[in-house]
Amino acid sequence: MTSFHAGLADIFEIPVDQIGPGFRLTEKNWDSLAIISCVVLIDECFGMLPSGAELAACATVADLDALVSRAVAA
Amino acid sequence: MRHGGRSGCAGVARRCRVTAAAGEAGVPGHGARSYAVPGFALRGAVCCLPERCVTNDAFIAGLGEKAVADVTAMTGVQARYWADAGQTAGDLCLVAACRLLARLDWPAHSIDALIFVSQTPDQRMPATACALHGRLGLPPHCQAFDVNLGCSGYVYGLWLAAAMLGAGCRRILMLAGDTSSRLIDPRDRGTALLFGDAGSASGLERCEDAAPAHFVLGTDGGGARHLAVPGGGFRTQPMEGGETLFMDGSEVFNFTMRAVPVLLRDTLEAASREVREVDAFVLHQANRFMLRHIGRKLGIPPERMPINIDRFGNTSSASIPLLLCTDLAPRIVGGPSRLLLAGFGVGLSWGAASLTLPPLACAETVAP
Repeated sequence: MTSFHAGLADIFEIPVDQIGPGFRLTEKNWDSLAIISCVVLIDECFGMLPSGAELAACATVADLDALVSRAVAA
Repeated sequence: MRHGGRSGCAGVARRCRVTAAAGEAGVPGHGARSYAVPGFALRGAVCCLPERCVTNDAFIAGLGEKAVADVTAMTGVQARYWADAGQTAGDLCLVAACRLLARLDWPAHSIDALIFVSQTPDQRMPATACALHGRLGLPPHCQAFDVNLGCSGYVYGLWLAAAMLGAGCRRILMLAGDTSSRLIDPRDRGTALLFGDAGSASGLERCEDAAPAHFVLGTDGGGARHLAVPGGGFRTQPMEGGETLFMDGSEVFNFTMRAVPVLLRDTLEAASREVREVDAFVLHQANRFMLRHIGRKLGIPPERMPINIDRFGNTSSASIPLLLCTDLAPRIVGGPSRLLLAGFGVGLSWGAASLTLPPLACAETVAP
């Protein structure tokens, strides 16, 4: 998850140490452009493509981590 | 926030070799068929751009500086050319066609078919191709018809032309163009900056000793609603609205990321080519961020996957010929070339063609 979290920090343009499970995406303009960037980030880090709707339903970084973990385990 | 900153006929059936492959539902590879079509050549291409260049500054007042910056970082579009009021895709294609016929020294009576590919026709009827047939002075034996496809339309036009040349046509004029600027809602940041207008003309000719072209084509109609102009047809009544473009950006993006890498791999496999054996990957110019990611996934060096969306926006059906007539013009006029063309988007629809081209007689842009 390290490179994934670094990528999220890059998308939100914040220091990586601010990216924790409780980080609220919805307070950081979690819009279609951010979601598209996140789709590509997840593809690069985990080789999978979540749908935009799945990502839009995530409110926190913990939700994103859980989504990725479920997909990787499947 | 930073976006995108990381890193038919029996004769044709006899001539075409068809192969199939297995894969995932809803994307190429799911029973994807490839078609090997011998005996035709692309002789030249001309694109016509409207004279009015619109830069991103024009959108700041309506959308705000930050939104414009965010969308620019993601899509890469810095400028686009927009048609003036009353100027249509047919008008742009007509100018391109006149130049092309002159450059190829093809008399009007030698044209056996005119195909017009567009989702912004001049009028609901008759087909814009028929009107253009008259404006170009083409002969009565010349068939003319429209193809209602956008982003994938140029490859479908090539496919149709190739099949028709195999069936006996000798020369075909394939026109592809759109004035998508007429469809956008200036308040929708997802589409307002993205699209440009352009028209194109491509001349295709029967050529018995040409190397076969390989086509892979497909559709996922389940995603039709994700990129649509719902009004203006006959399901809705006039004045009910819905006549501007709706795009679910994340769904279209997701479709592209699933479909296009597989499409490119399927087409390379059909043509028995490796990435290194393709001189240029000519992809529909949908979004710079997306194109760069696709290139990285397939190991395509950036110099062999040109991107010109920064200068012209997404010109829908004209984006592939516009790339041929701008960034790739010296390459395809200067000598033979091995190209992989791929269009994908509205439909949802996709098509790719692996071509081995002799040097083109012309590849250029003109103003109206």
